Amino acid sequence: MSLFPVLQTSGSALYVNRVWMDAIADNLANVNTINAFDEPAFQARYVVAEAIRTDNNEAIGIGGGTRVAGVEFGDEQGRLRYQPDHPYANEQGIVRYPDIDLGDQMTQLIIAQRSYQMNLTVIDRARDAYLQALNIQPR
Amino acid sequence: MLDLTMRAIQASLDGLAARQRITAENIANAEVPGYLAGRVDFESSLRDALEQADLSDLSVNTSTSLAPTGMNGNNVNLDEESVSLIDTGLRFQMMTEAMNAKFHLLKTSLRRDS
Repeated sequence: MSLFPVLQTSGSALYVNRVWMDAIADNLANVNTINAFDEPAFQARYVVAEAIRTDNNEAIGIGGGTRVAGVEFGDEQGRLRYQPDHPYANEQGIVRYPDIDLGDQMTQLIIAQRSYQMNLTVIDRARDAYLQALNIQPR
Repeated sequence: MLDLTMRAIQASLDGLAARQRITAENIANAEVPGYLAGRVDFESSLRDALEQADLSDLSVNTSTSLAPTGMNGNNVNLDEESVSLIDTGLRFQMMTEAMNAKFHLLKTSLRRDS
C-alpha cells in the first residue's frame, strides 16, 4: 500500500499520456511516408490505456491509476492517391499514403497534452494537501 | 540514548536520503545510452529488523530497474522519477516530523516544572 496514493495514481497517468504523445509524434512524423505499392502502408499507432485495479482500495471502489495495455495499428490499406511521377507508383500511377488524418492527430495531441497538464496539477494540489497534513502540530 | 523508535526513524531517514540521491542520479543520466535506472530498498530490511526488535544489522540495498529499455538501452522513466522525488520528499518530511515529536516528548520529560 502506498503512503501517498495520489502520486502513484496521477504519476501512472503522466506516463500513459506521454506514451500517447510519443505515438502521435510518430504518426505525424510518418504522415507522408510512402511505402512500395505491394507493401502495407505505414499504420497509425493507437495507444490503448487500461485502468489499474488495486486490492487495497477495492473496499471503497477506487482504482490505482492507468497503464499502457498495448498499441493498436491503423488501416494497412492506407489512402490511395494518383501520383504517377513517384518511383513507388504502380502501373496506374497510384501510390499508397498512410491513412492518417492530420486534424484528428492534432486534436489527440492537444487532448494528450492537456491531460498531462491536468495530472501534473493533481500531483501539485495533492502535494500541497499532504504538506498541510504533515504540518499539523501536536499540542 | 537512542531507543528503538528513534533508531527506526533514523534508518528510514537514511534510506530515504539514499533513494533521493539515486533518483537524482537517474534523472541526471536520463539521456545516457545504456544507463539502467537505480532502485533503493530499505523498507524490507527495516521491516524484518523491526519484527525481531533488533535494529543492529540494517542495510540499504540498491539494485537496477528491470523495466524495458528504449532504443538506446536506457530505461529511465522521467515521470516516474519526478513522482519519486515528490514522494520521497514528503516521506522524508514526515519522518523528520516524527523525530521532532519524539524529541519533544523527551524534552517534556526532562523538564522540572509543570
